[in-house]
Amino acid sequence: MSGQGAGGPVFAALAGDPVLAEHYANFRAKAESALDARLVALVRQAIAAVHGMDADPIDDTALDERTRLAVAYARRIPFEHTAITDPEAAALVAQLGEPRFVAFSVVAALADAECRAALVDLPGLAAA
Amino acid sequence: MSTNPRVSSAIPGEPAHFGSVLAHQPEIAESFFALYGRFWGSDVLAARIKEVARMRNARVTQCGFCRNVRFDKAVAEGLGEEVVDDITDSYQASAKLTDTEKAVLVFTDALIHDPQLLTGDARAALQKHLTPAQIAELGLGVTLFLALAKVLITMGLEPEVMDRTVVPTPAVLEAAE
Repeated sequence: MSGQGAGGPVFAALAGDPVLAEHYANFRAKAESALDARLVALVRQAIAAVHGMDADPIDDTALDERTRLAVAYARRIPFEHTAITDPEAAALVAQLGEPRFVAFSVVAALADAECRAALVDLPGLAAA
Repeated sequence: MSTNPRVSSAIPGEPAHFGSVLAHQPEIAESFFALYGRFWGSDVLAARIKEVARMRNARVTQCGFCRNVRFDKAVAEGLGEEVVDDITDSYQASAKLTDTEKAVLVFTDALIHDPQLLTGDARAALQKHLTPAQIAELGLGVTLFLALAKVLITMGLEPEVMDRTVVPTPAVLEAAE
């Protein structure tokens, strides 16, 4: 995702409340640190692309099976979250294990929400 | 949409629910509850306004758990069911929602559904009714409401049946301050 710095658009918008901003950054960091950094980057990139944001395309053929499955699942989060089936989820749980699936779910949902916050220019609204 | 938990409880003896599933990742759980408590504990933006946005998110994302929970602080600030019932797609016609709340609902819809809703007059209305600090807090809230709803739904933690339930508002965790 582009344009809001490393902390993302929500962190940027909270510049006037450093305590709340730090809590948000800590939550985001804890979720991301539970996963491989490359997977986090790919999830964020895949979701940004679904939103039509400035994101390089992902070459799925270059990914291993687990990563390909995770990226495909992440692409469903922005507009198809209610359509994900039990077998789809079970397949990813089998690949990641339950603790990492929990972290993955948080990271993907936050990435989607942050893209949306950027698209409404939350930092600009909060700085006006 | 599944009501079969897709992740087991990490707390022995407890069924799978948001807290017991998040317990698979204690550091994420601790940081989330610290953040959520701090957010709801702040009075920069009234709890009633936050709850209006949360209710709208619950309806649009189809989060049944979110839709049936009420935080007591917002209820004490006058957010009764007769007001919540007006948070439909026709909220602009409501006589019970304030102009500020309608501006907040447009922002909420823009963030969770269509960013084009927040252009021109709608953007100006939001900035007329809320300060930049309040908008920042609202933006954080809608971000968390949306993410939480999607986590609940995708992890299969939606209830099959749930009564409307008033619960204590998340509070600041002293150890986290």
